[in-house]
Amino acid sequence: MIPERLKDRVVDVFLVGTMALLILFFYVPILTLVVFSFTDSRVLTFPIEGFSLEWYGELFRKPDFLPAVANSAIVAAVSTVFATVLGSAGAVAWIRYRFRFQNVFRAVSFLPLLFPQLLLGVVMLLWFSVLGNWLGFSTGLATVIIGHIVYITPFALVIVAVQVYGFDETLEDAARDAGATGWEVFREITFPLLWPGILSAATFAFLLSWGNFYVSYSLAGTARTLPIFVYSGIAVGSSPIYPALATLNFIPALILVFLVDFLRRRALKRQKLATA
Amino acid sequence: MRTDSKRWDDPVLVAAVAPLAIVMLLFFIIPLLMTVVLSFQTTQFYRLSWTWDLKVWTEVFSKPHYWTIMARTVVMALVCVVVCVLIAFPAAYALATRLRAYNAQIQILIIFAFLTDAVLKTFGWILVLDKSGVANWLLAHLGLGPEALNLLFTPTGTMIGMVYGLVVYPMFTIYLSLARIDRDLVLAAYDSGASRLRAFFEVTLPLARPGLYCGAVLVFVLSLGAFLEPKVLGGGTAPLASELIRQSFETRVNWPLGAALTLVLIVIGALSLSLAAFILMRGSANHERSVR
Repeated sequence: MIPERLKDRVVDVFLVGTMALLILFFYVPILTLVVFSFTDSRVLTFPIEGFSLEWYGELFRKPDFLPAVANSAIVAAVSTVFATVLGSAGAVAWIRYRFRFQNVFRAVSFLPLLFPQLLLGVVMLLWFSVLGNWLGFSTGLATVIIGHIVYITPFALVIVAVQVYGFDETLEDAARDAGATGWEVFREITFPLLWPGILSAATFAFLLSWGNFYVSYSLAGTARTLPIFVYSGIAVGSSPIYPALATLNFIPALILVFLVDFLRRRALKRQKLATA
Repeated sequence: MRTDSKRWDDPVLVAAVAPLAIVMLLFFIIPLLMTVVLSFQTTQFYRLSWTWDLKVWTEVFSKPHYWTIMARTVVMALVCVVVCVLIAFPAAYALATRLRAYNAQIQILIIFAFLTDAVLKTFGWILVLDKSGVANWLLAHLGLGPEALNLLFTPTGTMIGMVYGLVVYPMFTIYLSLARIDRDLVLAAYDSGASRLRAFFEVTLPLARPGLYCGAVLVFVLSLGAFLEPKVLGGGTAPLASELIRQSFETRVNWPLGAALTLVLIVIGALSLSLAAFILMRGSANHERSVR
C-alpha cells in the first residue's frame, strides 16, 4: 500500500515538472541562438569554442538587413493600429451587444483564427492578383499590411473580449446618473476600464506582425520584411550573422512584453482600488 | 454580465460592427469565394484563362501522388494533436491547480516565446537538432549513446517544430476551461467518497472537455498548413500539402491547381471542425440528460 501523501507528492512533481520542461522546451531554440551569437567561429557547432562580438560587428559593417527592418516596422505599426481599433470595437459588439445577424458577425470576424496562415496568405494572394490584373497594381507592402490586419485582428478581438467580459456596467450607469453624456462616459469610464486589455492586444498585435512570415511571404511580392530576409538567408546556408540578428531582435521584444505587463498590472491594481 | 439589445439603425452598433465586417468581407470572404471560382479555370502558357471546366479537379482527384501527400499531411497533423494534448494537459493542469502563485509570470514567459519570430526560432532548432548541435552534445554528455542522433531533416525534426509552434493553443484553451471549474464540484465528489483519481475522471475531465476539444481542433487545423517546419527542419524530404501548394504557384505557375489544393485542405479542416462540434454538442446533450 503506497501512502496517500507520497502519491500526492508524485503527482505534484509530475505536473510541475511537465510545466518546467515545457517552458524549457520553449526557450531551447531562443537561448541557443543567443549563445551562438557570441561565437568566434564561422562554423556553428556546439559547444562554441570562444567568445566574441565579431558577428554583431559584422551586422554593423554590412547593414543590408536594415531596409527589411524598416519595412517590418512600417507594416507592424500600421497593422497594429488597425487590428487594435477593429478588434476592440468588434469585442464590444461580440460580448456586450445583442443584434440581428450577430452569429454571422461572430463567425466572420473569428474565422481567420481557424485558418492555417499559409492558406490565409494564398487565398488573399489569389484575390489580390486577380484584382491587380484588373486594376493594375501589384503586391507589395500595402497588401502585406492588409493581410496582417485580417490575420491579427481576431487575436486582438479575443484579448479585448476577455477584458470586456469582466466589465462592470454599473460604473457606466453611475456616471450617467451623475449627468455625464455618452461621450464623457466612454472617455472617463469605459475606455480607462478597457485600457489594460487594449494595451495587451496592441502589444500582441505588434509582435505577431513583426515576426510574421507566412502571410508576408505570400503577399510581399518583391518587398522584404525581416522574417523574409532571414528565411532567404538561411535557405542559402546557415551564416553566423543570424544568431546575432536574432538576439538583437529578441531584446526589444522582451523589454516591450515586460513593460506592457507591468503597466497592465498597475492599471488593474488602480482599478481594484478605485472600485473597492 | 449585462447585454444591450441593439437595432441596426443605431449608429453605435454600426460603428462597432461595420468596419471589421467590411474588412473581413473584402479581404477574406470574397478571396475565399474567388479561390473556389479560380479552381474551375485553367492555365495556358503560364497564363490564367477563364474557361470554366473541371480539368484541374480531375487532375487533383486522379493523381495518387497528391493523395499520398494529403494523407501524410493528415497523419502528421493527427500525431501533432496527440503529442500537443499529452504535453498541454498536464502543463495546463499544473498552471490551474499547483502554480497559481506564479500564473502571471509563467503566462508572460510562454507568451513571449510564442510571439517571437517563427523563422528565427526555426533556425534556432536547426542549431539544436544538427549533428553537431546542442541536442547531440547534451545526449553525449548525459551518457546516452555515443553515436550522433540525426534528427534534422527527418519527420521527427518536422514534428518537433510543429509541436513547438502549436502546443501553446491547447495549453491555453485547456487552462481556461480548467480555471472555470467550480472547485466545490470537485470537493463534493470527495465528500461523496470519490478518490482523487475518480473525482478527476468523473468531474474535472468531463468539465474540461470543451477546452480539450477546442485546443485539439485548433492544433489539427493549423497543422494542415505547416510549411516552415517540413521545409527547414524536415529538409523537404517528406513534403506536406503546403509544399504542393507553393510549388503549384511558384514553379508550375498553375494557379487553378493551387486554388484547388488549397480548397482540399480547407475542406479537410472544415470537416474536422464540424465533427468536433457535433461530438461536443452530443456530449453536452447526454450530460444534460444524465444531470436531470
